[in-house]
Amino acid sequence: MDLDVSPLIDSWRFLASGLGLTILLSVAAVVCSFVLGLAVSLGRMYGPPWLRVLLAFYIDSMRAIPVFVVLVWIYFAVPIISGYSFDPFWAALTGITIHVAAYVAEVIRAGITSIRKGQTQAGLAIGMSGAQVVRKILLPQATVRMLPAFGSIVSVTIKDTAIAAVIAVPELMRQAETVAGQSYRPIEVFTTVMVIYFLVIFPVTRLIDRYYIRVAHLGRS
Amino acid sequence: MTAFARKNADRPPMLVYENVQKRYGTFMAVDGVSLHVNAGEVVCLIGPSGSGKSTLLRCTNALETIDGGEIRFEGRPLPKKESNIRQIRQRMGMVFQSFELFPHKTALENVTMGLTTVKKMAVEEAKTRAIALLTKVGLADKTANYPANLSGGQQQRVAIARALAMEPHVMLFDEPTSALDPETVGEVLNVMRNLAQEGMTMIVVTHEMNFARRVANWVVVFERGQLLEQGPPQQIFEAPTVERTRDFLSHLGWNG
Amino acid sequence: MNLDWSIVWQSRGPLFQGALVTILLTALTMLIAVPGGIVLALMRGTRFKPVALFATGFVELFRNLPLLLLVYWAFYVMPVLTGLGLPPFATGLAALCLNVSAYNSETFRSGINSIRKGQSEAGLALGMSRSEVLRQIVLPQAWRRVLPILASTWVSLFKDTSLVSVIAVGELAHTAMQIRSQSFRVLEMLTAMALIYWLMGYPQAKIVDWIHWKYGVQE
Repeated sequence: MDLDVSPLIDSWRFLASGLGLTILLSVAAVVCSFVLGLAVSLGRMYGPPWLRVLLAFYIDSMRAIPVFVVLVWIYFAVPIISGYSFDPFWAALTGITIHVAAYVAEVIRAGITSIRKGQTQAGLAIGMSGAQVVRKILLPQATVRMLPAFGSIVSVTIKDTAIAAVIAVPELMRQAETVAGQSYRPIEVFTTVMVIYFLVIFPVTRLIDRYYIRVAHLGRS
Repeated sequence: MTAFARKNADRPPMLVYENVQKRYGTFMAVDGVSLHVNAGEVVCLIGPSGSGKSTLLRCTNALETIDGGEIRFEGRPLPKKESNIRQIRQRMGMVFQSFELFPHKTALENVTMGLTTVKKMAVEEAKTRAIALLTKVGLADKTANYPANLSGGQQQRVAIARALAMEPHVMLFDEPTSALDPETVGEVLNVMRNLAQEGMTMIVVTHEMNFARRVANWVVVFERGQLLEQGPPQQIFEAPTVERTRDFLSHLGWNG
Repeated sequence: MNLDWSIVWQSRGPLFQGALVTILLTALTMLIAVPGGIVLALMRGTRFKPVALFATGFVELFRNLPLLLLVYWAFYVMPVLTGLGLPPFATGLAALCLNVSAYNSETFRSGINSIRKGQSEAGLALGMSRSEVLRQIVLPQAWRRVLPILASTWVSLFKDTSLVSVIAVGELAHTAMQIRSQSFRVLEMLTAMALIYWLMGYPQAKIVDWIHWKYGVQE
């Protein structure tokens, strides 16, 4: 087996731009899906009955449909319906956000309902409103408890960005495919990219785990 | 201090602890403890929390390994090899503060577990022995119950029966009543007292001073991993020779 | 926008076959990755350092990589490593198995560790050996905690099989995408693909909920 890493060295800028886009897409997707997920979970828990049913349906549907299918549908099918042509990056961001937000919503819901009723009662007893109880008592504790689950959601989101390659988003995975195809050196290229992905994902999850261990006591009531 | 003849002192002791040391990192949980337990004796280990009494007990059946000194059981030092330790453990019974009944087994199955798995006894014979033991601890009608359907005191009595099933030479009790409601403490202490009267060698880590006063043949007081004082209950509870023993007992509200 | 939904009905044969391949992939992977996960978890727990270290490295590696990348990497590397020309199905299966075994090993490890230490001590105190304690006391209690997580992993795996479509394995996603390219019926086929996944996946998700409800841990 003869290895030749020169194509990697020649295309390092190309790959680096892919990595940059991976990071950008990951950060954007994490932020957007957390915002959407929070809104969905609050709607699920405190909204009117019809909204709860609708949101439950949405969440369960995202558990059934692969993110690959969501991405290609948004990129290829939506333009046919709306006449609007998506930039691949925005299609990917939308698709990943919609998919991940469902999981975020479930984690938040599980986190908040895991807190003893006594905590809510204590807040109401000193005259807080329901919204204040949620904001000041439940969410802070729930956030700490949910850190490990959030950590794995962040990890999954970064991995999902690689799937954006199939709708031609020029992130790292896509760039790797291009270089591998042009250089006929797939083993060297994909192995290197594996190392890069690992070096990005592993520290992120480790950091979140470490942080959780330090603050875990804040979430125990 | 008047000379006191310990029970069965004419025979070699069953357990000898010689300058035993156990550390966790830099913390000395047991710091040079020497004492011995004779056959048929009930020895109570008392002292503040964290003073090393439970640790010493768990070193006795090698759930923890000692870092210095020696523990001798029936004349021989505790072995190092896992397979030899298992033989020793079959001759010692342990009762835990948190009962540790196996939740996926009925009371009867908890008691037969050791017999069928370790002693390889036939199921029918094991059941017979188990029923007899459960009857002895007053739970003949609860043999088919799962631990979730037993009160704390009942669970602990099943745990005692489970340990007795192995016909141990010594019973080790690690704060057996600390996790029980006051109402159920009595039923467990009764079982233990009956056991003592039948001549079982017992080492009991406990906060139940009345029990120690009435049932123990020998009391050992621990503080910070070391022995403060040891002697017959009359000495420890009525006329302790060490000032700090007096302090410890008065903190517990013990007025003799 | 002119739509012709009849293409979906016309392709029902290949689509059904694709769905079967999806299920086959999912089942085969779990069949291999459950024992694989147990083996890895035991390797991680062993006192023999090199083995434990290797297993930990293996698990951390395959948990922290995108599956799509693994699929491509397996596609190019496996023929070189094994010297065989493997069909895409086998390659895709291998990538899925590596990935899911790593996840399962974490599941088993946390399930075993979640059983209170006192339980093993009670067994050891009776004179049981470590393996007897594992088999008779720890595992019977641990499987209740492990089963719901394995069920969730099954559903995730079911969705992840869509990724092996990129190396031309004939499961549902690949089949649907192929028909789309050949017939130019993009919206119809993509919607049908989403719908078929939904029809298969939604009940599975509900069953997982039921399993979580039934075997949820009460301490």
